[in-house]
Amino acid sequence: MTISLVLQALFAGVTNGIVYALVGMGLSAIFKGSRVINAMQGEFAVIGAMTTVLLLTKSGWPYAAAIAGGAVAGALVGAFIEVAFVRYMAAKNASEDSFLLLTIGLALSLSASILYFVGRDGHLLPPLGSEGVLIVMDAVIQFHALWLIAIGIGATLALRAFYHRTTIGLSMMAASIDADGAATTGINVARMRTFTFVLGGLLGAMGGILVTPLIGVDYQLGLNLTLKGFAAAVLGGLTNPLGAAVGGVTLGLVESLAIIGISSSYKDVVAFSVLIVIMILMPQGILGRAGRRGG
Amino acid sequence: MSSRSLLWLVPCLVIWAVLPFVLPRNVADLLVFTGIYTVAGLGIGLLLGHCGIVNLAQATFYGLGAYASAYCTVMMGLPSIAGFIVGAVISMALAYVIGRPILRLTGYFLALGTLALSAIASALFFEWDWLTGGTLGIGGIPKLDLFGFVLDRPSRYYFFVWIVAFACMIVAHNLVDSRTGLMLRAMRDSSTAAASLSIDLQALRTKVFVVCALFGALAGSLFAHHVSFVSTQSFTVDRSISFLLIPVIGGATSIPGIVVGALFVTFLPELLSKLGDIHQILFGLALVAVVVLMPEGLVGAFGKLRTRLARRGGGHG
Repeated sequence: MTISLVLQALFAGVTNGIVYALVGMGLSAIFKGSRVINAMQGEFAVIGAMTTVLLLTKSGWPYAAAIAGGAVAGALVGAFIEVAFVRYMAAKNASEDSFLLLTIGLALSLSASILYFVGRDGHLLPPLGSEGVLIVMDAVIQFHALWLIAIGIGATLALRAFYHRTTIGLSMMAASIDADGAATTGINVARMRTFTFVLGGLLGAMGGILVTPLIGVDYQLGLNLTLKGFAAAVLGGLTNPLGAAVGGVTLGLVESLAIIGISSSYKDVVAFSVLIVIMILMPQGILGRAGRRGG
Repeated sequence: MSSRSLLWLVPCLVIWAVLPFVLPRNVADLLVFTGIYTVAGLGIGLLLGHCGIVNLAQATFYGLGAYASAYCTVMMGLPSIAGFIVGAVISMALAYVIGRPILRLTGYFLALGTLALSAIASALFFEWDWLTGGTLGIGGIPKLDLFGFVLDRPSRYYFFVWIVAFACMIVAHNLVDSRTGLMLRAMRDSSTAAASLSIDLQALRTKVFVVCALFGALAGSLFAHHVSFVSTQSFTVDRSISFLLIPVIGGATSIPGIVVGALFVTFLPELLSKLGDIHQILFGLALVAVVVLMPEGLVGAFGKLRTRLARRGGGHG
């Protein structure tokens, strides 16, 4: 095992980890704001990435505009799901299992829609920045990966500022901590829940758009990203979107170290085993604080 | 059993016995799958309806049963019964070993823990190709042979599968009706109260999980002998999800509900597939509609409708 191999693995781990973190942060934001585990979080990534691909190749939009279009598509689908389904079921006091099943059904429908309307093939996006690579001690690092890491860190910091500094972010926090209390101070709790889904859709779409230049997007990508994103969110304590960022990077690193230590084919086995073990042994997540209430 | 339900039972049995002879072969084939899915779904229904546990790992046990049957009969040349037993024993042992720690989780965490388990198993089925044949699978699994009577046609296998399914329903019914069932109900309605009555919740949940795994393995073995070929594609996370849909759609607490759910997940995709490729979207939307509009499943919704009609009828009479 050479230094460059380890370096390469660490770097790949951080890159994948940021993607898991973005999906996990979205999942965690939705859970925090609505107590719904969103089993279609990975589909937001697919929607964002697919929309960007179609706008770029079919409609001929400039790349930056297509990326913005993809992110908006994720956010809009998030809003639609809350308004069309979650709101109705929440009003009827649906159980937490039925929300899980709802989002599983939506995930099946969306992935089947992509298969039907776009097709079976995978699609790539051009890398951000340039095609070039950076070579550090024989480890090859794509410029795109550097962009991905920078954007991921930027998004995490922005999310933190959003929750702590903006009125709307603080209102969303208040609505999630004590809905009745928030309502008496004039916060529209239902609207805050919609915003939560918009935020979740946006974060998921960003993750999808960023990962597509590296691995491509197809109709099957969603489920895997949902599972990895959930693992990231659980590692971070689930109700803490910023914890999901730490969880995502940890998961990415564990995975890539498993690849050099064991074999690349056991990547998912290791990742999901870590998820199960962490859930059992560290129910508060690896950061250990913030309640892990959910069931 | 009351005389009234007996009255229902007789025509149902007659229809059941005549069906494979009057229906075309492909429909009889689907009914065989309905029977297999009923067996697998019964276990999930017990967990969901009586313990409030969402089990998304049933494809794991289904796969273990199927591979055990395939490996024992094709690779080792053992009689079919060996495959059934090996599959059941391995599945129950695995369910016990994994169930003890994992069932400490609750709600979403447990649901996603079982989903992760299914993802791990599906990756291992793929990787351990010395055992499972990987994507190439294992072919040439013999048809079942009952004392020289070969069940080689769907109409013959139909009776065998459904007799097994009925036996499993009776087991499930007795489990729910027994002391265990009372403890389960106590645990579901108030786990604290149940624990204070010295019910060992952990052991109880593990017990039902093991029964669920047994049903899953049994269904897997039945499946292997029906299609004669098993490969990794049959035991993915998607399959776990569709198994979970059986009790969700039909109604988790009622045993007939499981049959209704199994009919739904076998027949609806087949009917919709006549509409072309769009059928997968429609199936997903049908699931969403059931979850949103009928939270207690089709059987629950039917019961509600009947009560409403009866009340209206009573008002007029």
